[in-house]
Amino acid sequence: MTTAVAGPTRTDDQRAKADTAARRPRRPWAPYLFISPFYLLYVLFLLVPVAVSVWLSLTEWVGLGTPHWVGLRNYRLLATDISFHRALGNTAVFVLVAVCVVVPLALLIAQALNTRGLRARDLWRTAYFVPIVVSPILVALIFGLLFDRQFGLVNSVLRALFGTGGVDWLGDPSLAKVSIALVMLWRWTGYLTVFFLAGLQSVPRELYEAAAIDGAGRLRTFTTVTLPALKPVTAFVVVTSFIGAAQIFEEPYLLTGGGPAESTLSVTMFIYRAAFQRQQFGYAAAAAVVLFVLVFGLSQLFNRLLGIGRATS
Amino acid sequence: MTRARIPLYGVLVLLLLAFLAPLLWALSGSFKPRGDIFGYPPQPVPDPFTLDNYQRLFSGQPFWRWFLMSTVVALVATTVSVFVCALAGYAFAKFRFAGKELLFGVMFSSLSIPFAVILVPLFVILVKTGLGSPWFALIVPWVAPAFGIFMMQQYIVQSVPDSVLEAARIDGASEFGIFRTIVLPLLRPALGALAVWQFLQSYNSFLWPLVLVSDSSRYTLPLGLQTLFVSEQRQYDLVLAGAVIAVVPAVALFVLLRKQLLEGLSTGAVKG
Repeated sequence: MTTAVAGPTRTDDQRAKADTAARRPRRPWAPYLFISPFYLLYVLFLLVPVAVSVWLSLTEWVGLGTPHWVGLRNYRLLATDISFHRALGNTAVFVLVAVCVVVPLALLIAQALNTRGLRARDLWRTAYFVPIVVSPILVALIFGLLFDRQFGLVNSVLRALFGTGGVDWLGDPSLAKVSIALVMLWRWTGYLTVFFLAGLQSVPRELYEAAAIDGAGRLRTFTTVTLPALKPVTAFVVVTSFIGAAQIFEEPYLLTGGGPAESTLSVTMFIYRAAFQRQQFGYAAAAAVVLFVLVFGLSQLFNRLLGIGRATS
Repeated sequence: MTRARIPLYGVLVLLLLAFLAPLLWALSGSFKPRGDIFGYPPQPVPDPFTLDNYQRLFSGQPFWRWFLMSTVVALVATTVSVFVCALAGYAFAKFRFAGKELLFGVMFSSLSIPFAVILVPLFVILVKTGLGSPWFALIVPWVAPAFGIFMMQQYIVQSVPDSVLEAARIDGASEFGIFRTIVLPLLRPALGALAVWQFLQSYNSFLWPLVLVSDSSRYTLPLGLQTLFVSEQRQYDLVLAGAVIAVVPAVALFVLLRKQLLEGLSTGAVKG
């Protein structure tokens, strides 16, 4: 392991030579064998289900007997189903909260944690990350307790501070959405902070020093040095937040049951409800295909625009 | 600490409270008699302090069965998936082979398939083929997460030197032998990170067990707690006690391996 670590002393030529040698195995089938467990499971438990989903979406099926072919009828019904429109709208709101509120807030906190000479950085980072470790059902029940209309801690605090309480956090249609958004904020912010902080710490100091010599202020430094350097991290964080928020389920399911008046019904809840509570498997599959097209299409677009997801770069 | 830093620390402490208060509130509530959980004004410290909630949870509910189910499922899924991910990640990081870019792209793009899309067909397929038993269906479909492969690939590219692999090859080691005896030991920090991540994913999963498991003797912890939560009268006292115990393995594992996890997670994103 003498020349193991690629240090500055190795020439590019040497490195290229070592690379090709290492990458040309004696057994050309070895890499295929190594990735085969993944692809086996991928085909069986992802590709086949997606295909089945598309097929089921063209049928009417109550879960028993043979599915009955109905062509595009489920999609036509979805197009006029107000509940589905609400689910799409609510999910869009949650996605916007994730991308436009949670992500910037995480970046802001990461900036604060990246302050030079900050003490106990690891402690802050760890503590902020803890919510994501906690199971979503626990999150939901704890927040159910905090948001309780009569006795919840949030209302108790409001009453003590401002003399007003009794806010119906989970029972009022617009407030319920806010409550779910607050839970998302609580759960995801610290998690995303970790990524931004790692990104910030990998920005070379010299860039900041150069900016300072050029007389750039805080804002200019942020927009000309920090943001460009953070581009890969931001791309990753935005795409994962988008995908995560687009399939939000536990928070509305457990906290509000999708209500009141479907104001927190998400697309995933809509699919769950159609299939497992109403036995409309074909209809659920059609909604799932719509979700797939939207999420997969948009994230592929983001990936391409932002340039992530390649083996070699 | 300079004076100028005081507002910064103030903000960080406020954030800390905001992030930890709900959990501390649950902890404190679990030691309060039922009536005090919702008492006004709210008491931060339980008075009187009681273990009654825990005792009733253990005696009246199959709590330990739920706990065991979740833990065993998560441990098995974690062990297998760490191995599968390391193997695939190694192939993508250190070999050149036909179709690599395409296969990697396919693997990576599976990250953007929402779980809800396969929820219905996966359930139907597994139940129809008789593979719907929790021991199979809670574990096997999840042991090859693309996220884990991506994380491993990123880590291996950066920290496994080609020259070591080359030397082993010259010594006549088999490809799998190289993986097992050279690559895996070098991956230890990343494997720890992935293991924590996988354990949490499995241990905390809710939607899939909710759909799949109908037999209450096979409930996982989140499902069991959910029954207490959605019953006619929300049994907050029992639920809080259960919540506190449920969170112990997750937080303990996280605290033990947090450095590796936090660094492992960010590796992929930073180099992207």
